[in-house]
Amino acid sequence: MPYNLAAPDRDIEELVVRRAEVFRQKQGINLLTGHCASRIDPAGRTVSGTTPEGKEYELPYDRLLIATGGTPIIPDLPGFDLPGIVTLKTLADGRYLKTLLKTGKVKKAVLVGMGYINLEMCEALVRLGIEVDMVKPGPVFLPWLEPSMAQSIREEIETRGVGIHAGHAIERIEKTAGGLQVICRDLQLNADLIVVGIGIRPNSTMAVDAGLELSVGRSIATDRHARTSDANIYAAGDCADAYHVVSGQKTWIPLALRANRAGWAVADNICGKNAELEGIAGTAVFKVFDFEVARTGLTASEAAEVGFEPVENMIKARSKAHGHPGSSPIQVNLVGDKKSGRLLGAQMTGKDGVAHRINGPAVALYCGMTVKQYSQTDLAYSPPIGPTWDPTLTAANQLLKKL
Amino acid sequence: MKFVVIGADAAGMSAASRAKRNQPDMEVTVLEKTMDVSYSA
Repeated sequence: MPYNLAAPDRDIEELVVRRAEVFRQKQGINLLTGHCASRIDPAGRTVSGTTPEGKEYELPYDRLLIATGGTPIIPDLPGFDLPGIVTLKTLADGRYLKTLLKTGKVKKAVLVGMGYINLEMCEALVRLGIEVDMVKPGPVFLPWLEPSMAQSIREEIETRGVGIHAGHAIERIEKTAGGLQVICRDLQLNADLIVVGIGIRPNSTMAVDAGLELSVGRSIATDRHARTSDANIYAAGDCADAYHVVSGQKTWIPLALRANRAGWAVADNICGKNAELEGIAGTAVFKVFDFEVARTGLTASEAAEVGFEPVENMIKARSKAHGHPGSSPIQVNLVGDKKSGRLLGAQMTGKDGVAHRINGPAVALYCGMTVKQYSQTDLAYSPPIGPTWDPTLTAANQLLKKL
Repeated sequence: MKFVVIGADAAGMSAASRAKRNQPDMEVTVLEKTMDVSYSA
């Protein structure tokens, strides 16, 4: 969505992958928009709610899927309900923001939170010529990244004139004569627009009311078949938990690929096909200005929390062969387990060749490979594409010395 | 078989579409509180 917002000539409706009429007419799905579901009765196997006309409805089911997604978290602080304060989740949010940006009245924006959505928003707004400040209570910028890697991203953003204010707890937002003001104890930031991006929470209230079991972060507990604690009810997408492929423990990492895949598994399971879901690795990538940032698996601190004995090592390599034009630095941080030698995770930053390179370590995590086994893999080489030793192999070779 | 889905975004519509492909005679109903379905955020 931030990329669409950055391009004034792109229609926000382009983001719709398939229109409701297609689902209804071509696929024969009874798609009822404007129908809010509010209650599940697992004993009677019904869902009830209200129609767009405000009438009560009750629908019987044999199998039910809860795919209610997540809701952006808004701090419970004064002023966060003022107009001009937005989140970025639904298409309605996107439409509102697109219209607001088109007026040309937004000159200054404050982004609350420094996760990947707000980092993408930061780039989008700067490209539109808007002055941007980012603020969050935690003192560390991108805390899951190795400090020198996080620092290079931070410098990239600051070079574009963006203010990064980490370690400032917000007290309130006030309306001023000219717009809005974010007030921290020792910092005030003026804004015409405030984007809140501090994470989402799973929409699990209906599941709780139906007596279903909950999991990490109040997500809905599911088994490897995406089934909840009620045999007739499944849950998938941002509202549901998953097993982590590295730790084998329950986790909650709401990302798009898993949502689509879990949806497929539910369909297969209700049709008697016995689809079992593998765990997730939390593989993710985002771009901020010229930098690509990617991760898969566990960071060292996450690995320690789940009982591994993590050792990590950061290396600097190049994105292309030695002396090849256009080559730029790549940083790779690999995490391995001292006890088993197993590869636990990878984080990578750079301006070129980072995004898809993370997929090598991601696949290795699914195979349960050791760092040594990964170091022996035959990865592609050509001067314009990478060095002879792929940066992830150099990282594995170096980490091996510490294991 | 009556299959009901609450939520018409990635997970919900993936499941509804695939269920209908697997079993064309299945009765698939999707309940969506907004007017929007299947978008990429």
